[in-house]
Amino acid sequence: MKKSLNKFSEKTFGKIVLSKLIKINILIIIYIFLLGFVGVLSLYSAAGGSWDPWAKNHLTRLIFGFLLMLILALVPPKFFFKFSVISFFVGIFTLILVKFIGTGNVQRWITISGINFQPSEFMKLGLILILARYFDHISRIQLNKLINYLIPFILILFPGFLVISQPDLGTGLTIILLGLAILFFVGISMKFVIFCFIVFAASVPLIWNQLYDYQKSRILVFLNPEIDSLGSGYQIIQSKIAIGSGGVFGKGYLLGSQSRLNYLPEKHTDFIFTLISEELGFIGSMSIILIFCILIFSILKISFRVESLFSKVVVFGIGFLLFLYFSLNIGMVCGLLPVVGAPLPLISYGGTSLLTFLIGVGIVLSISVHEKN
Amino acid sequence: MKNKSQKNLENIISKRFFLLSSLKALVVGTISWRFFDLQMVENRKYEKLSDNNQFNYLMIPPERGRILDRKMRLLAGNMDGFSLVLKWNKNIDVPNVIKKILNVVEIDEKDLKNFYDEIKNYKTNQTKEILITKNLSQKDVAKLAVRSVEFPEIFFSMTKKRVYPQGIIAGHITGYIGPYSEKDNKIKVKPYISWLEVGKTGLEKFFDKQLRGKFGRKRNEVTSKGHIIASQVYEKTIAGNDIQISLDMGLQAFAIERFERGNNTLVSVKNKNIKKQIENMREITYVNKKHVYKDKKNRIVNPQSGSLIVMDVETGEILCSVSSPGYDPNIFSDDLETSDWNKLKNNLRAPLLNRSMSGVYPPGSTIKMAVALAALESGIIDYNTKFHCSGSKELGESTFHCWAKNGHGKLNLIEAIEQSCDVYFYELGLKVGIDKIAVMMKKLGLGQYFDIEIDDRSKGVVPNIEWKLKHDGLKWSLGETLNASIGQGYILTTPLQLTTMVSRIANGKFAVTPTLMINKNPKNFEPLKINPKHMMFVKKSMEKVITGSNGTAKNYKIGSKEIEMAGKTGTVQVVRISEAEREKGLIKNEDRPWKKRDHALFVGYAPTSNPKYAISVVVEHGGSGSSVAAPIARDVFKYIFKV
Repeated sequence: MKKSLNKFSEKTFGKIVLSKLIKINILIIIYIFLLGFVGVLSLYSAAGGSWDPWAKNHLTRLIFGFLLMLILALVPPKFFFKFSVISFFVGIFTLILVKFIGTGNVQRWITISGINFQPSEFMKLGLILILARYFDHISRIQLNKLINYLIPFILILFPGFLVISQPDLGTGLTIILLGLAILFFVGISMKFVIFCFIVFAASVPLIWNQLYDYQKSRILVFLNPEIDSLGSGYQIIQSKIAIGSGGVFGKGYLLGSQSRLNYLPEKHTDFIFTLISEELGFIGSMSIILIFCILIFSILKISFRVESLFSKVVVFGIGFLLFLYFSLNIGMVCGLLPVVGAPLPLISYGGTSLLTFLIGVGIVLSISVHEKN
Repeated sequence: MKNKSQKNLENIISKRFFLLSSLKALVVGTISWRFFDLQMVENRKYEKLSDNNQFNYLMIPPERGRILDRKMRLLAGNMDGFSLVLKWNKNIDVPNVIKKILNVVEIDEKDLKNFYDEIKNYKTNQTKEILITKNLSQKDVAKLAVRSVEFPEIFFSMTKKRVYPQGIIAGHITGYIGPYSEKDNKIKVKPYISWLEVGKTGLEKFFDKQLRGKFGRKRNEVTSKGHIIASQVYEKTIAGNDIQISLDMGLQAFAIERFERGNNTLVSVKNKNIKKQIENMREITYVNKKHVYKDKKNRIVNPQSGSLIVMDVETGEILCSVSSPGYDPNIFSDDLETSDWNKLKNNLRAPLLNRSMSGVYPPGSTIKMAVALAALESGIIDYNTKFHCSGSKELGESTFHCWAKNGHGKLNLIEAIEQSCDVYFYELGLKVGIDKIAVMMKKLGLGQYFDIEIDDRSKGVVPNIEWKLKHDGLKWSLGETLNASIGQGYILTTPLQLTTMVSRIANGKFAVTPTLMINKNPKNFEPLKINPKHMMFVKKSMEKVITGSNGTAKNYKIGSKEIEMAGKTGTVQVVRISEAEREKGLIKNEDRPWKKRDHALFVGYAPTSNPKYAISVVVEHGGSGSSVAAPIARDVFKYIFKV
């Protein structure tokens, strides 16, 4: 009996997995795969045509994260719903922990048995999940009362400022922007949005005084890179030179002189897109931007389709997070935005951010799979 | 079942969804536009910037052409040297690198100062190669090369140092080179590099383009840290052309020695008496380290200053061009100290001045051939016209003196030239008039520039009535005609013009022009259009100056059966002599202060039978033309004809 039951359950388990796998949005998988592949190739080029030190690691992490994503895709969304509160507080806890045992010169990392781990990245997922759960809960009562937005604000600003105080202005602002976008998405009053905007504008001088010198200089240099063409403006100037010199078709794979001769700083992390633009030109960069757009659109399309508010918010949040990083990073490398340190999802070298995105997409796929009918 | 509020919420969410989507579209649009702008519109600009980053173009200087004399002896050449160059970029800690280098080799302080100056003045961030020093010995190179790993920022380059083996002997002709600067060079030189050197004076300047050759370019691929990872020749270097000139350095060397000695004698500085004298003198130019000149009264004197030119009367080629005192152009090849430069520049005897081409002197009696020719050509006199010389000529209220106080008595033209009678030429001048004299002077080559290969030259002055009106706004007076007739007053000539004049008289047919090039001048010059008989007559009288029993240079015959010279002496008064002084009796020339002594001139040619070479000797404040200038000319001819 037991045996047969086992057999039966095994069979059904296999069947269930298979049926779920079939339902997985194959396009998203393909795009993720494509972008990851671009990442590996770019890192291979960034190292001057070598698997070491980045491309190999990136590939390993990609495979691992890809499997993790597939596994998460099979997990029912209920699971994430349940874990949303815990994940948020684990995130907050690690952010506080990083203050005490953090490594790296600006205390952004926690090292667990030799693996560097950046809590602020996971914090974003935690924030999306808890906000989704909160609004899912509150929507049954009332969403148009301002008072109900008080808790979300705290949920957003607390981790946001924790990260900013690390100090990591870029990631902190991303967290806050992400949260605000979700508030906007679930329908916070337009008047209130405008009011907040005015308050923010008014408090700019106050915030300015709170900034670290290097952050101030980054913003000043962004406004006019020439004031420090050898220091912090150097990155922007050299990045623009690399992009601009790429032209229509680029200098050719592995032939980017700016990156090969080390004129590009951070060419394997935040400025990886510059390298791609230099070597593959306008056509190459536009293709990658297009893939990102389609990927983000595919994800957001799911949010439009699903029924429950929790799912809607989670999918939207993850889609928006992807968009936020994509636009911040590319806007930064081409000099439209100040250098704020935002990785290019799936392509930049960096384990935590890669895993965060793959987990996020995994959650999206799970929602997509389970709420299809 | 959806209730009302849920439906409401869904509405809001879809509205917001589209709002956010359009925002995203806007962002993506902006980014795409930006990339379009950077990569398509401004691609060229960024390609150039990237190229500037990636490549570093290095100029390879061509070897400068040599200057050779007519017998292929070297006047200007190149010597191997090693330069130390810093591949500068913004990341280099310059003082530290220099400190490390100084631990290994010594570098001249002045070079270092120039080096730091250049860095200070270099405002952009592009990598650049900056010269540290040009004067590195082979030993230094070896020392640094062994430790090249410690100095990735520096490299050596083989450089050529300009050398002038003849040194001071031909300094004025070769000229010298110096660092290029737009200020003092009108030639635009592309490209500008810190160690580019261009000709500054003399032939080096005139033939700069031919001598310089064409710069090559090397292209280095450099990393952001300034390390060169690849290098290739981008443009080939073309060496400069050699230039052969008409000087004969053997003659030049002899002439300069003979000229500077004048009538003085060499004396060793070890002589007790001389030593004492030297101590009391402020400035004295040594002949060499051990000798100075002394005059007949045992006074120490400087070498004679002035000019000596020897020219081929047929081709106009200049065989010898002495300008004393001279300078050694080699001192400009090393970096010249400012104090040394000032010493040269402010020296009262102006060693930087090329007297042969740009010094101007009143020609004195050497002009008398021109006056005689003007008179003969105008038909006012014939070969036998005689005038009486009583020692002076009254004109209005002034008295014009002859050099012979007691006069020459009655004499004809040939005797007047032989004895250089001033009164005879006063009479001629009055008869012919200044304008006709001026025309003849110009015909013979005075008062004009020649197409010679030296940029700095003077035009001199050939005055006439119109000239005076233009120059002073005054009318020409007859007294000025008298002065001009004996080569004094307004008239000024360069030694080169005087030599040309004698050459034209010597060949008697055509208007030869001077050149420093070999085989450059045309075979046929313009005809002179002067009656050849008159020419023969003047030449005969010039022979009499040497061979005649009363000739002013009769003591300085060459004395060879085949070869004799002809010529004319000239003594130019430098200060006006007042009547009172004349009454008291003149102070002897050699007893006056140097600056107040007369200029001694001699122009001539040889051999008389078939003129080959013309000569002009101008000894500044040398005394009389007959006793100082003529013997120098004779000795130079003796050297030339080996008699």
